Amino acid sequence: MVAIEDLRKCVKDGLQFVKSQKDVRDAEIFASWNDQVTVRINYTSDIPCNGVQEPKNISGYGVGVLVVFDTSDTIKIGFGSDTGDLTLEGLERALDKARRGAVSDPDFKSLPFSSDESPKLTSYHDKSIMELEDEEMVSLGWRALKGALMTFKESGYKRSLIVGGDVTILKEKMAIANTQGIDDYDESTALMSSITAMVEEKDSKGTGWTTATHLDKFKPEESGEMAARSAISTIGGKRIESGKYNVVFGRQAVATLFSEMIVSALSLSSIDSGNSPFVGKLGEKVASDTVSIYDDGARAGEIGSKKITCEGLTTGRTDLIEKGRLVGFLTNHYYSKKYESNVRKFIPRNGFRFGGGRDFRQSASIFATNIVIEGTREVTSEKLISRIKNGIYIGRLWYLYPVHGLARADFTGTVIGDSYIIRNGKLGEPLKPNTVRISDNFVKLLQNIKGISKEKKSTITWGSEEVVIAPEIAVKEINLENVAEFVESL
Amino acid sequence: MKERITVDSIEQIKERIYNLVLDSQRGLRNCHHIDIRIEASESKFAMAQKGAPKESGEESRMSLGVRVIAGDVFRATGYFGSHLGLPDLRNIEKIIQKGIEHAWRRALANASWKAEMKRVLDSIGESIQSTSLEVIEIHKDIVALDFKEDPRAIPLQTIIKEAVGVSESVEKLYESLGYNMIYLYTTFVRELFVSSEGVLIDQTYPLTEGFAHIVLGDESHYDHLGAKCGWEAIYGENPFNRNFRDFAIGLAKETIELSKAEVLPSTSKEVVVVTDPHFNALLAHEIIGHPVEADRALKMETAYAGRSWLFRGFIENQIGKRVASDLVTAYSDASLTGYGQYKYDSEGVRAKKVVHIDRGIFRGFLNSRETAAILGEEPNGAMRATDAYLIPLIRMTNTVIAPGNRNPEDIIKEIDDGYYLVSHRTPSIGESRENFSISARRVYKIKNGELVKLYRSGGITSDSRDYLMKVDAVGNDFLIIPMPNCGKGSPMQALRVGNGGPTMRSRARLT
Repeated sequence: MVAIEDLRKCVKDGLQFVKSQKDVRDAEIFASWNDQVTVRINYTSDIPCNGVQEPKNISGYGVGVLVVFDTSDTIKIGFGSDTGDLTLEGLERALDKARRGAVSDPDFKSLPFSSDESPKLTSYHDKSIMELEDEEMVSLGWRALKGALMTFKESGYKRSLIVGGDVTILKEKMAIANTQGIDDYDESTALMSSITAMVEEKDSKGTGWTTATHLDKFKPEESGEMAARSAISTIGGKRIESGKYNVVFGRQAVATLFSEMIVSALSLSSIDSGNSPFVGKLGEKVASDTVSIYDDGARAGEIGSKKITCEGLTTGRTDLIEKGRLVGFLTNHYYSKKYESNVRKFIPRNGFRFGGGRDFRQSASIFATNIVIEGTREVTSEKLISRIKNGIYIGRLWYLYPVHGLARADFTGTVIGDSYIIRNGKLGEPLKPNTVRISDNFVKLLQNIKGISKEKKSTITWGSEEVVIAPEIAVKEINLENVAEFVESL
Repeated sequence: MKERITVDSIEQIKERIYNLVLDSQRGLRNCHHIDIRIEASESKFAMAQKGAPKESGEESRMSLGVRVIAGDVFRATGYFGSHLGLPDLRNIEKIIQKGIEHAWRRALANASWKAEMKRVLDSIGESIQSTSLEVIEIHKDIVALDFKEDPRAIPLQTIIKEAVGVSESVEKLYESLGYNMIYLYTTFVRELFVSSEGVLIDQTYPLTEGFAHIVLGDESHYDHLGAKCGWEAIYGENPFNRNFRDFAIGLAKETIELSKAEVLPSTSKEVVVVTDPHFNALLAHEIIGHPVEADRALKMETAYAGRSWLFRGFIENQIGKRVASDLVTAYSDASLTGYGQYKYDSEGVRAKKVVHIDRGIFRGFLNSRETAAILGEEPNGAMRATDAYLIPLIRMTNTVIAPGNRNPEDIIKEIDDGYYLVSHRTPSIGESRENFSISARRVYKIKNGELVKLYRSGGITSDSRDYLMKVDAVGNDFLIIPMPNCGKGSPMQALRVGNGGPTMRSRARLT
């Protein structure tokens, strides 16, 4: 592990060194250390297995420099990095790379500059996670598995069981300094457990998850218990006929809809490339007037929260959709400056270098943090379901992609678990996993939202960096198709 | 030039690491297996948008991956992964010893938990067993893929100039009304695998690729050209036999043409569809390549990439059963030229050709040493990691549908009423790969054997087995496409694989 003081010294000394170079006009020095621990779980009752398949980690540290060089006729911008060396020797190598790769980007306006805004979060990480022993990390994975298996055992299920998923622990430290007055640092920790459980011969599947920023608040067994309970309660699933249904999307499904598509479409880089259905729609109504969506990187207690961005700027709230109207985009400093005008400013609260932590090997691009979805008249989960009367509760979606490009907003995917048929305003029979394909359009979906639940949960999906503070959402007229009947005759 | 990591750094350390691994295994309590992977690469890239340079750079990187199997009553695994820098290279023995110790401690803790959980869980814990690797032939080998233009020797300015030049050419086509992004990348990679069983594999390969992303209105297309070779890939020595400039301009012209086309109406009933090799590369990837990965079959990917409808269990499975028409044969072959070309996998196992479907009959899976032991098979060398700091997973090699004997033009001419889908776009596949939806870049209406109308934003959907069973014509053409981003694992690993096939005809619903 690298001490935060070493990272701070690296960026401070590094900035002095880089500034002293004759051809340097401006510079930003970013140093980080990351350790991403994953304890992957694989239990199968009918196939020999390991229980915990892989306790593993990826660690690394180093420095990245973004430099504005003066040349005879223009300015050039270059980025370079060096791994495993926080001394001036490492910095020189990074600077050499930045110099060799520098190009004249006509859209570059400036490096980020410091402001008077104070960060909302300070000292919000857990030191005990930073110092987590190997044995302890392994035990977190087994505790998640034990939660699921004890739930199955106590309910009398012993055969055809599958439990998979992982416990992930993120330990991140970073420091940044630039010639525009930024000089700050950040330390964060996050714990996540995400479990899928099945009683395979009964075609049932359940999902459980939990998150925390501190070890003493982290209860991985709860995610296992939740997954097993959902698997048990979805035994005996039925098929449905193809058609249009009123749907309540559960929290995992909502997180998938946002992480796989909607968040990308709300990024200023997607607007820049024209690859978003929201191009030219700023200020217009793009969703049901019951819905508001914002990103908040300073939300206390959430694993997506940070003190500062990877550009050294204060995190905070960015409103995206307010009562159905498009009011903003996620952005970093580069795009905020490119699209700044006398009448419109985009605050750069989302310039991050995510990828297994805060990666010194890349410059800051745009990432969401905590995506919050709220309704104007939120109701309880029961009331939301009762409003639908007859329809489908979709708990988890799978392989959901914008099949004709993000700009067209058409998407398709399949329903893989935690799902039910809604009859007379209540959850009825479970829906059989892998038997329904959903094909629709996410702009239409946003416009057809009929209600949002009060209860929300921090939700993560496979492969995504952001957290969705996900409610359940009721939407009218979603296209669902009955598929894969052949599997039942195998 | 200042001292830095290069692919030649591996030459300096490989014998020392070999001895260290053998010594370490003997010196650690209840340690049964150690393997070490080290990867070094030297890469250059450039990106341009709308005719202007955006980013470029050159990088040399090194990383480490350690696997240890240890335990007393039960054996279990522990892993360690790290990015390495020049100071680490100077202290490589110390760094590797530290990694082995972490992995060993994790393995021992993991093994203790196995024993404890078996006690607590009674019968439900019976399936939790010692980790076992299938025995393999021990190889010591040096492998180097040929190339013409060494990526390390290509000046970065050449790459920048090419990227900007292509982007400018594309920009002129639509008079600044659209967006284009051009990305060029060339790398030279060296992978070292060493195990306590005595395996020492040193493999080197170059890889060069170009990406083009074109947006015009609500029409956006993305395609990729590349090969495991030097810079010559950009000038035509690639599976498409096209230089990258023509490739990107071709994609831009298609996007312009498509932006004026009608959206394909979907159908509620199946229609006759002909699919070209580019489309079938993705079809082979999604409905053959993924479900034949043994880790999926054994439910190890249930929470992530999914299971396989080909294997419900040891009794109920599709091995030896018909899953496709007798015109369909599919296999994986790492000896073919393509992104999936290699000699040894990330467990030091020599890759073998694996036939998955033989004239419609399902034959077998791609495996790892661990899944081979469970399935009672011989390891076939399909475990690969995107980088050494990531753990290996069972991955496709060059996984393809074999060519048939029909002239592709005749396959279309025979159709009175149908559709021709050209070039794949985006997939969405059922969790156990039992159903698929794949969109195409271009869809043509076929009337009386002629292509009569172009549509955009269309694709097909079907249950996987139904589609393969209804294949009634297979072309004698064949193309292996470079697939740059096959995602699997947690943390997600995007791996380059090869996929391909011929022109084929079947039946599906239009989407």
